[in-house]
Amino acid sequence: MRIGLLTEGGYPYVGGEGGLWCDRLVRGLDRHEFDVYAFSGDEAQEDAGWVPLPPQVSRVHTAPLWTAEDDGVVYGRRARRRFSEHYGELAAVLCAARDLITPGTRPATSEADRFATALRGLAELARDEGGLVAALRSETAVRALERACRTPGAQRAAREARVPDLLSVAAHLERALRPLSLDWYEEDGLGAVDLCHATAGGLTALPGLLAHHFFGIPLLVTEYGVRLRTHYLTRPDASPAVRSLLAAFHGRLAAETYRRAAFVTPGNTHARRWQERCGADREKLRTVYPGMDAAPFAEAGESPGRADPHTLVWVGRVEPAKDLVSLLHAFAEIRKEEPGTRLRIVGSPSDPEGTAYLGHCRALAAQLFPDEADGPHSVGANPVSFEELGGPGLDTPADAYASGAVTVLSSVVEGFPAGLVEAMFCARATVSTDVGAVVEAIGGTGLVVPPRNPRALAEACVSLLRDPERRARLGAAARARALELFTVEQNVSAFRGIYLEIVARTPVRRLLLDGTGDPLPFATPAEAHVPGHWTDPTPRAVPGWAAMDTPVPATETAR
Amino acid sequence: MNDLGALHHSTPPGAADPVKALLHRHRDLCEQAVDPLEIAAGLEAHGITDRTAARFRHRDVFSLAEELYARVSRDDAAPRPAPATTTARAGAARTVLVLLPGLPGALCAASAVALRLTHGEARVYTAAAGVLAVTLALHAALRRGPLSARTEIPAHSSAASWTCWLIAYTLLGDGLLRTAVTGGPDGLPDGTAAGDWPLTVAPVVALALSCAPAAWTAHVLAARVRRRLESSRGLEDFAASVRPLLIALFALFLGTVAVLVTATSALLDEPLALPSTLALGGLLFLARLLTIHGFTHAPKVILTLTAAAQLTALATLFAARLPGCDALATPLQTLTTYWSPAALPTLTCGAASLLLLIHTTRKLPQASTHIPPEPPR
Repeated sequence: MRIGLLTEGGYPYVGGEGGLWCDRLVRGLDRHEFDVYAFSGDEAQEDAGWVPLPPQVSRVHTAPLWTAEDDGVVYGRRARRRFSEHYGELAAVLCAARDLITPGTRPATSEADRFATALRGLAELARDEGGLVAALRSETAVRALERACRTPGAQRAAREARVPDLLSVAAHLERALRPLSLDWYEEDGLGAVDLCHATAGGLTALPGLLAHHFFGIPLLVTEYGVRLRTHYLTRPDASPAVRSLLAAFHGRLAAETYRRAAFVTPGNTHARRWQERCGADREKLRTVYPGMDAAPFAEAGESPGRADPHTLVWVGRVEPAKDLVSLLHAFAEIRKEEPGTRLRIVGSPSDPEGTAYLGHCRALAAQLFPDEADGPHSVGANPVSFEELGGPGLDTPADAYASGAVTVLSSVVEGFPAGLVEAMFCARATVSTDVGAVVEAIGGTGLVVPPRNPRALAEACVSLLRDPERRARLGAAARARALELFTVEQNVSAFRGIYLEIVARTPVRRLLLDGTGDPLPFATPAEAHVPGHWTDPTPRAVPGWAAMDTPVPATETAR
Repeated sequence: MNDLGALHHSTPPGAADPVKALLHRHRDLCEQAVDPLEIAAGLEAHGITDRTAARFRHRDVFSLAEELYARVSRDDAAPRPAPATTTARAGAARTVLVLLPGLPGALCAASAVALRLTHGEARVYTAAAGVLAVTLALHAALRRGPLSARTEIPAHSSAASWTCWLIAYTLLGDGLLRTAVTGGPDGLPDGTAAGDWPLTVAPVVALALSCAPAAWTAHVLAARVRRRLESSRGLEDFAASVRPLLIALFALFLGTVAVLVTATSALLDEPLALPSTLALGGLLFLARLLTIHGFTHAPKVILTLTAAAQLTALATLFAARLPGCDALATPLQTLTTYWSPAALPTLTCGAASLLLLIHTTRKLPQASTHIPPEPPR
């Protein structure tokens, strides 16, 4: 089976986000053939090159989303009219007042259809004529947007759009619709795969959507973080008109993707709720937890006694969303109850904001906790230590988790808590805040407290620090749970099953051609569409009255 | 924000409206949100989960967000100020704006003076050095500052070489035409205005000097257009306000060129060639203006056609010397006799700049021309 894997800023590139997961998937499903269709994130990523690819990856197509080349095609009268019609339709849908989608009910189908039709119209235009990049930035496009915004039925924010807003929306839409101009939608490109697997929603799934339209290729969408939500959180600081039109575009795109997809696999219940909210059918949703490699944590997991019983560990990337301040305040409370306790904060910032935050936390720690020493003649140290992975005795995250008796997670925002799962693999008792998919990941195998509540966090930690038996029990349960749910093997086998199910349900029917390129009549006989082995010598479905004297094996009837 | 639990405990159930307190706390988020999902995403980012939402008697964050969205009044929400444009590099930009476009003019004037003062072989070297210096300065002025193109354009386009031809024609063409009509030229130009093949240096110096007003005009145009963009309500409004601005600035530029060429002609003691210089100056300015805004095709075609027309005219004059082809030279000879040798560049460049002016007044008032360029990543 040939899988078209659609990625963005990820897989074949070194250090791409989500690249590790795709790599494991591709290596795990070595019976299938993979064609990778990748969008690169930026120029630095393109220069960094690819990871080594296994032999089952037969082809890699890449395209940049961060830049677009104008192919110099200038539309004639007819093409311009076609473009104006479709773009106008798209703009009209985006400007139309939206009715709230309530879960369980179908979104307004006519609007969704109009969006889909406009998108397809633009894609077909790009395939037939090219030149879409220039057209999307042209006066025709801006005028169509203006017309749509001034239509009587338009939503309020759109009606207030000024000229700079229109230009900004046009520029954003041009960027968003770049996948339409790619040369991937050919018979020997995305037309040749049996299944498109988009590794993220949003623009990454757009080629899959078009492949579905052009060739009827079934689409599978995996979302670990919902793109629409990311769009809302990282929205540019623009005027309400711009934000409202772009939110409408991304919302409609998500709804259309979920509508066309054969299956949607959210990475956790949190993503699943968002997808349901955006119009994904409940029957199409299959939660597939991300898989993580358990091997590096096996040693720490098998020897829970190695941990220092008075140490708390926090591991992660330092950033404000992790709320280390709250953790430090909680630790102050813990120290009142259990004076000998130490806190290890292991991690480093990844951006300037994180660096500033780390400095702030260090200052706060120095202020809250004076250095302390064992006796009058020894050098003291702060009970809170800030360390980085790769430091002495901390080669891997496993070492960090292994060094403490309790792992703490104090985030206020979290997607799927990978660090928490690693702690579970290490069989460590955990105390975490109730955010994102934490409760879902931890199940009942750790303590969960409300976010931004240092006292509750402190109480939970103290109760665990005082009770070694409970720690051991929770740790063992956590490890068992992680090994069952969050391993690479379960992830890969879930996808293997879903692939087979999709291909069995919605096989791609291709017209077979003979040597001269004419359609070959009767190349696929009608029996090919009959479920089961039609070449099987024994008659499969035999009426009861006829089966009297020819006994059919039980396995056959059961099939 | 630290006390969702405290909020729960401090408000007796049923007594007050807990959602109101929440609404008050997230007023900014709720007022600026364009749909309930945005509020939901924002609430989640503030640590509100479905379990928190249950305290507000809601099934999940989404329905809580919907209530917030419905309850917040957006009517009196003050429009947020537009993001301030960055003025961080204003100092450097001003240097580029003032000094760089003046450089070609200064160098060209210096070369013209040096040509007057030197003789013989030294004059050849001076001329070569002057041409090189002016070319480099021009290159620098076009690469940075208001005359630089927003999008990447190919380094060696045919437009550049045809521009060189047009300027070379201004320098040498009139003299060549004058001698050619009378059967010359008998030798190469000697670098003076008095020889057999005289040079007309004054228009070229004026054109080089006009780089600075061109840059300033382009800068003013960009600033004004930005302001009009912010203030206009619709695309028609915008176009209607930009078109007169464009024509006024073009007229201003032509006026500056006229003053410059009059001054240089007087200083260098050369006959005044006002119409041809104005035509060429206008043509080059409009071509650059279009190139800045990403329209490279039209300037290229027009410049090529103009240069080709001049080249053909000269070619007919020399081809007429072949036996039996006398008639070829008649049009140009008539033109030169009844007007002056400057008629040829005036007519060609004038027609070309008129065409480009029409094109510019159609293209630049389009708002799509001013879509902000993509931030580099």
